Amino acid sequence: MAVARAGLAPAFRISTATGFSLPMELALVGLTLVVLFVLVYPTAWIIIASFKSPAAIFSGEFGDFSLQNYVTLFQTGFARNIFNSLYLCIGAVLISTFVSVLAAYGFSRMRFRAKRYIFGSVLLGQCFPWIILVTPLFILFAQLGLLNNHLSMLFVYTAISIPFSIYLLVGYLESVPRELDEAAIIDGCSRFGVIWRIIFPIMLPGVVATATYAFMLCWTEYLFALAFLTKMQLKTMPLGLYAFFGEDTAEWGNIMAASALTTLPTLLLFLPLQTRLASGLAAGAVKQ
Amino acid sequence: MIKGERSFVVYVLVPAFFFLVMFYVYPTLFNLVNSFTDLSLFGLKQGGDWIGFANYVELLTSSDFRHVLWNTAFWLTFVSVTVRILLGLLLALLLNSKVLVKYRLTSVSRVLLLVPWATPPIVAIVAWRWLLNPQLGEINRVLLWLGVVDQPIAFLAEAAWVWPALITIMTWNTLPLVTLAFLASLQSLPSDLIEAAEVDGAGKWQRLRYVILPHLKPAIIVMTLMSTFWTFNNFVYVWLTTAAGPGLYTNVMATEVYIKAFIDGRMGYSSAVGIAMASIMVLFGILYLRLIAEREFKEVF
Repeated sequence: MAVARAGLAPAFRISTATGFSLPMELALVGLTLVVLFVLVYPTAWIIIASFKSPAAIFSGEFGDFSLQNYVTLFQTGFARNIFNSLYLCIGAVLISTFVSVLAAYGFSRMRFRAKRYIFGSVLLGQCFPWIILVTPLFILFAQLGLLNNHLSMLFVYTAISIPFSIYLLVGYLESVPRELDEAAIIDGCSRFGVIWRIIFPIMLPGVVATATYAFMLCWTEYLFALAFLTKMQLKTMPLGLYAFFGEDTAEWGNIMAASALTTLPTLLLFLPLQTRLASGLAAGAVKQ
Repeated sequence: MIKGERSFVVYVLVPAFFFLVMFYVYPTLFNLVNSFTDLSLFGLKQGGDWIGFANYVELLTSSDFRHVLWNTAFWLTFVSVTVRILLGLLLALLLNSKVLVKYRLTSVSRVLLLVPWATPPIVAIVAWRWLLNPQLGEINRVLLWLGVVDQPIAFLAEAAWVWPALITIMTWNTLPLVTLAFLASLQSLPSDLIEAAEVDGAGKWQRLRYVILPHLKPAIIVMTLMSTFWTFNNFVYVWLTTAAGPGLYTNVMATEVYIKAFIDGRMGYSSAVGIAMASIMVLFGILYLRLIAEREFKEVF
């Protein structure tokens, strides 16, 4: 590695442990605080605003704590949207995780022809523009009478969760020693037995992380729901949320409360998992 | 292979492949067929007539489509990916610096960094539509108070502001992922490499140029590719922020597919736009892998 001009460094350097002068250190700390403020402010303010009284929602002050926005929100029938989202997402996550655990085991442990290419095309599913699936699936569902139907949404959400789930689960499976499989097979366990009795319990944290990610993907999905669900009582939460934006006006009280409800599960449940996911994603990038 | 292994492979892969074929492969092929027809949203039962390459000819000769292409390639993808990667690098270097360790800011900054990422795009858009709102928005309030402007700016309605505003929203929402990937890579950099460079008399910039950036190169290459795909394909940021407006000023390929199919009702033409979109991404992916990342990707896969 060519590091130029060695030997030109001063013999005695006055330096703190960080290698920066004090004013520079303070400037960097200040910069960090500003950046963190910008990163946190929009989300924090949505949650705070949702608990302000509708009259004070746009004032700079915190004002009185109030649940009025939530009361109004539930009077509009938003509970129905929450329920739709919950059961569609949980259903899709259960199916897609089950299917993906099986497939991931196949990709990780078995040898078969053209495996590299098949796995590569599964990964391609991740980079696939969903928008170009919308038009053909819409035509198909229209012809089969499956528009405004939760069963077709369930299948769509399962399908969009699968590529990413397989990718993540294969990553986790690589960290489970193969000797375990072999030992169990020698002891007379079937391959399926190995998956559910040996591998599944060991990689449970990975399965939970994957399922959580898939849940978030479906929980916040907007495009397919927009195209395939037009009846109000079938709509999911993201559609319900954007229904409060009118042509010229917006019902900000309802919007804030609905946004907070959409965000809270992802913030609370997923913060610990996001770090794990990031390291999983980065693992591919960092490997040398 | 042990006896019965072959059928086991089939059993474990078939359920996943059912979904992948039904919801990815088949719709894509169906889309390709539709792109050669004049299928209309209002005549789905009758089906469309075969019109050959007419949709593609219209697409290639239309100036509207050139505008859409420019928006997608330049603003939505090139500018926003460049901004995201550069800011992600700077932020990762900042969050990895010893200064934060000294002032005990490391863990709190890593947790807070996750907040925009844990915020779903649909909510991030709400937050920024409100922040950028000309009457109620905090940003205009601060600008007025500082005396920078004397009239509030309608960031999402004025042509000069709408792309920078959209890119701000996308960058805010996706910066943590990129930053975390770079941070993970920075943490895998052996500290004796840095120390060795220091002993050799390398200054801060030289260490960055000759030690840190080469180490980050694989992460930068992968993140650039992934975020180009995600951004190019994205529908919600533009649709929910500006609905492709003002007018069709911020129309991109993803919103064009939607508008043509579900507002103008021209399913056939919309399919052709979709096929063009997928072709561009495939072409980009192949070129990128061939020209820039061949070595890196061989190591990864």
